[in-house]
Amino acid sequence: MNIAPRYLGRGSWLARRDPRVLILVIVLFIFTVLQVWDGRVILGLLVLSIVYYRAAGIPWRHIRRNWTIVFLFIGLLVTVNTIVTGGRVRELPVEGLHIWFYMPLLGTPISAESLSLAGTMLMRYLAMATIGFPLAFAVAPSDFGIAFARLGVPEKFAFGIDLTFRFLPSLGADLQTTIDAQRIRGYDASGGKGGVLSRLRRTAPVIVPTIVNAVAGAEDTIDAMDLRGFGTGKRTWLRHLAFDRTDRVVIGFFGVLLVTATIAGFAGVTSVLWTPPLLIELAGG
Amino acid sequence: MTAEATLLDIAGLTFRYRRATQPAIRDVSLTVTPGEVLLVAGPSGCGKSTLIRAINGLIPHAYPGELSGSVHLEGRSTGELKLRDIALTVGTALQDPAKQIVGATVEAELAFGPENLGVPRAQIRDLIRMVTSQAGIEPLLGRETAALSGGERQLLAIAGILMMRPRLYVVDEPLANLDPLSAARLLAILRARADAGDAVIIVEHRVEEALSLRPDRVLYLDEGLTRYLGPVEGFLEIANPRAVKLPFDVVLARARAGGIAPAPDGGVGRTATGTNDGPHPPDAPGTPSRLEFRGVDAAIGEHAVLHGVNARLGQREVVAVLGPNGSGKTTAFRTAMQLLSITAGAILVDGIDAKGRGTASLATIFGYVFQSPSQMLFARTVREELAFGPTNLRRDPATFDDLIDDCLRRTALDGLEGILERPPLSLSFGQQKRLALAIALGLQPKTLILDEPSAGQDHQTAEAFMREVLAIPGLESIYFITHDVDLALTHADRILLFRDGRIVADGPPMEVIVDEARWRACNLTPTSLMLANTRWGGRDDRFLDAETLALRIAASGQQTSAGAEGGIGVDAR
Amino acid sequence: MSMTMSRSSLWEVTSRTIVYAAIGAALYGILLVAQLPIPGSTVSVRPAFALVPFFGYAFGPVVGFFTGLVGNGIGDQISGWGALTSWNWSLANGLVGLITGLAPMYMAKMVDGNIRQRAIGGAIAGSIAVVIGFLFIFSDAILQGMDVGTIVSTLYIPVVVGDLIGTIILVPILVYAWEPVKAQLGR
Ligand SMILES: Nc1ncnc2c1ncn2[C@@H]1O[C@H](COP(=O)(O)OP(=O)(O)OP(=O)(O)O)[C@@H](O)[C@H]1O
Ligand SMILES: Nc1ncnc2c1ncn2[C@@H]1O[C@H](COP(=O)(O)OP(=O)(O)OP(=O)(O)O)[C@@H](O)[C@H]1O
Ligand SMILES: [Mg+2]
Ligand SMILES: [Mg+2]
Repeated sequence: MNIAPRYLGRGSWLARRDPRVLILVIVLFIFTVLQVWDGRVILGLLVLSIVYYRAAGIPWRHIRRNWTIVFLFIGLLVTVNTIVTGGRVRELPVEGLHIWFYMPLLGTPISAESLSLAGTMLMRYLAMATIGFPLAFAVAPSDFGIAFARLGVPEKFAFGIDLTFRFLPSLGADLQTTIDAQRIRGYDASGGKGGVLSRLRRTAPVIVPTIVNAVAGAEDTIDAMDLRGFGTGKRTWLRHLAFDRTDRVVIGFFGVLLVTATIAGFAGVTSVLWTPPLLIELAGG
Repeated sequence: MTAEATLLDIAGLTFRYRRATQPAIRDVSLTVTPGEVLLVAGPSGCGKSTLIRAINGLIPHAYPGELSGSVHLEGRSTGELKLRDIALTVGTALQDPAKQIVGATVEAELAFGPENLGVPRAQIRDLIRMVTSQAGIEPLLGRETAALSGGERQLLAIAGILMMRPRLYVVDEPLANLDPLSAARLLAILRARADAGDAVIIVEHRVEEALSLRPDRVLYLDEGLTRYLGPVEGFLEIANPRAVKLPFDVVLARARAGGIAPAPDGGVGRTATGTNDGPHPPDAPGTPSRLEFRGVDAAIGEHAVLHGVNARLGQREVVAVLGPNGSGKTTAFRTAMQLLSITAGAILVDGIDAKGRGTASLATIFGYVFQSPSQMLFARTVREELAFGPTNLRRDPATFDDLIDDCLRRTALDGLEGILERPPLSLSFGQQKRLALAIALGLQPKTLILDEPSAGQDHQTAEAFMREVLAIPGLESIYFITHDVDLALTHADRILLFRDGRIVADGPPMEVIVDEARWRACNLTPTSLMLANTRWGGRDDRFLDAETLALRIAASGQQTSAGAEGGIGVDAR
Repeated sequence: MSMTMSRSSLWEVTSRTIVYAAIGAALYGILLVAQLPIPGSTVSVRPAFALVPFFGYAFGPVVGFFTGLVGNGIGDQISGWGALTSWNWSLANGLVGLITGLAPMYMAKMVDGNIRQRAIGGAIAGSIAVVIGFLFIFSDAILQGMDVGTIVSTLYIPVVVGDLIGTIILVPILVYAWEPVKAQLGR
């Protein structure tokens, strides 16, 4: 089973950045988006995130599936949210709503406001996901450990992240072997009758050996690390990270963005939902 | 030994693991000086790895237990030293390379040690340059460790140790699962270190190969006790050829001196073992072969692995599959079991295309035993474990008890009391291997397929296991993959030689071994036993094991210049 | 690192801790992606999840936390979502592992009991951890501006129910399988 993360953006403009940039940008951007509720601004941020995403040069055909999943997930959440909230929109009294119609059966009002809320949330999610993708595909897996170490994560744990990536392919192969071994004994993961419980129990033949073997097999790895002085003092990292001018500019830009959003937010400029007049007219308001 | 200052000095070392009832090693004393090579041999469980742990400081620093005696490195006791400091003197390569590699890339793995010791970046770079050329692994730079073959991993593991610049190299069974060529390369690296003035302690079952390292002395352990410590010659005189694998000329000399008792079964792999009497009667003409590959191609992901494999494996024969790491041996049988779909060609089982036939139904014809038994053990008790397969195949539960008893009897597990209620994972490695066999037998297959049955076991254990398997009643045929050339040649009716996803040789042992060039092309170096068989054997054109052949020659009193045939190991003296 | 570990060693970080943590995280990520299917079930049961409470219970809070946090991040990473995009979910997973790992503090008797009690103890500790740990996803109310009611009905309840089932069924099985092995491992 091939589980290794795919370094699809190799060589792209973003991939050439210091990995810490991609991490920091996500943090800065997410907290920017959090404070914005004005759909027009969100739209701008969404466009920005797309521009940023393009810089990762991730070939579309390789991640079509990933995006489909993302869209489905977001779509579901937003729809449900709109229906459940029944248009009860933050700092807006239910009376003030410009109702289009009431949902059959549920009877929840679909209003200009709830629709704009839905639209805004959709864009917020999309913007965040879009900013997230480059981290998944444009950072060399072997760079995560050092990146987090240089961002202040204790070295032992930072190395733990590297070690996690090291284990992915081999444990993936082990999982495959175990699945094969059980299939030979007539085991069929997906098949079988019975409810959730018995189905769950039927995953044991695969999960148990995989986990137990992985842990039991760790003894040598642990010895090997102790024998090469792991965690006995300050360690150096072969990989050298240094921000270049571009890196600083990028981080600076997103930093400024966050500050602006925060100020504008407190000033109440961008932090309130914006409902397109068109929608209100359609509601006959 | 020169008057040089001793590097390692062990005096009256005894150690008992916290959970163990008795010591793993008892009263071991030895010294190692710079430039010296010490070979540590002994049967499984005799305390070799324990000794190594005591040398590299894991005992007492990581393994609690009852320790007496002393271990001094360059005059300082390992008890007082920190693991970090010991690491500067002792470099250890553990038994399983796949597990001790902690880097995702070759560079990361090499850098790991120096990084932990806080070596400056530039210096690490220089070290990497130097070590990769020393170990001859420049081509591996930039590769991901997950994509390396077993042999490449082992070399990388050693290189990772070279990065630490230790004075004493401790290597635990580096040759297990290595094809002979990779093994030779690895030993060459170690030899070079010794010539450069460092010391090497190597633990190895495969004494014959290990001898090409030209060890100065041999330590032979048995049940934790020092049975022999001294020069190689003396060891070769006292060592039991059935317990450790010795060069043929040595065995022959011993036979001449009347130092060998005849093998219980006349040595010919299977004749007396009762799979059925004597070598299998060849399939009657016209009978379809049990398993046939017709121009089979297969790929794992984008990576093409098998290229037009053609082979017919008979209903009644023992077939051994040999070939370098990554040559496609395992993959071939995975396709046969429909675990991996083929991209071209066809696979026939008993003459019928197996396409679309489920893995489970194939399992009633082929009992497939994986290399690592624990990879399929999950149940709470051995009984549950054995009932799992038949249950999946909707067999009648009423028959299970008899079936299970039968399987346990055929694999000689019925001896262990309370076996049915034991948790499978609480069994020893050897017992787990036999349980894996029993599980395969549970579906009442006609043919057994074994992937590296001898891996990680010593000569004796491997031989014994192989004989046991061949002695299992009610089996028509056995196909097994192995890296142990002599094991394959002595036990198989037929050899399939894999290389780069192709079969490059197919025939009876005595025929296959004739073409030495082809043999070497498959990363296989002729063993002294092979050379001996080609020279003296062939009487009943069966490949004979060392003892039997030696006894025959000794009996027939042929004149030979022992040593001329030795192959690996002869240059040891 | 063992079922019966002394309170003091709970927070110790050795090579063993790091290796177990990395293995846990990698396995969790892999199994999340491999998605052993549980078709025909209304709630989305993720068998892989049982790994988090088990690693916390068997190897301590540090390992448990890392397994949940990094494992979930790796899962998102491979699925393309990006390791940090839903960092609060990863953190929730981590908390589950951490809280389970603290079992020796709040249910010492069971943890030190016989294997049957330890197995049940694992299920209980895991369940407690699931219920508490996932409270953290309510941060979505602020992060995504989601309505609290929505979170309860569409996220919290389904996830907690699904993972409770997984925990209660699989953790004891894992404890039973692991104990005999643990007894054989050295150190
Ligand atoms: N899970 C996997 N993913 C990708 N490539 C694989 C995988 N398993 C095996 N391969 C590749 O397929 C080829 C054949 O592998 P295979 O295991 O059949 O070799 P082998 O002859 O069994 O080697 P060994 O003697 O080391 O077991 C090798 O090049 C290997 O790198
Ligand atoms: N960590 C441990 N705890 C308890 N007993 C152990 C431990 N490791 C090894 N032993 C026991 O000590 C004895 C020696 O084990 P050791 O691993 O040194 O043998 P070995 O010669 O290396 O065997 P092999 O050739 O199979 O590697 C065995 O009986 C083994 O069961
Ligand atoms: Mg050993
Ligand atoms: Mg193989």
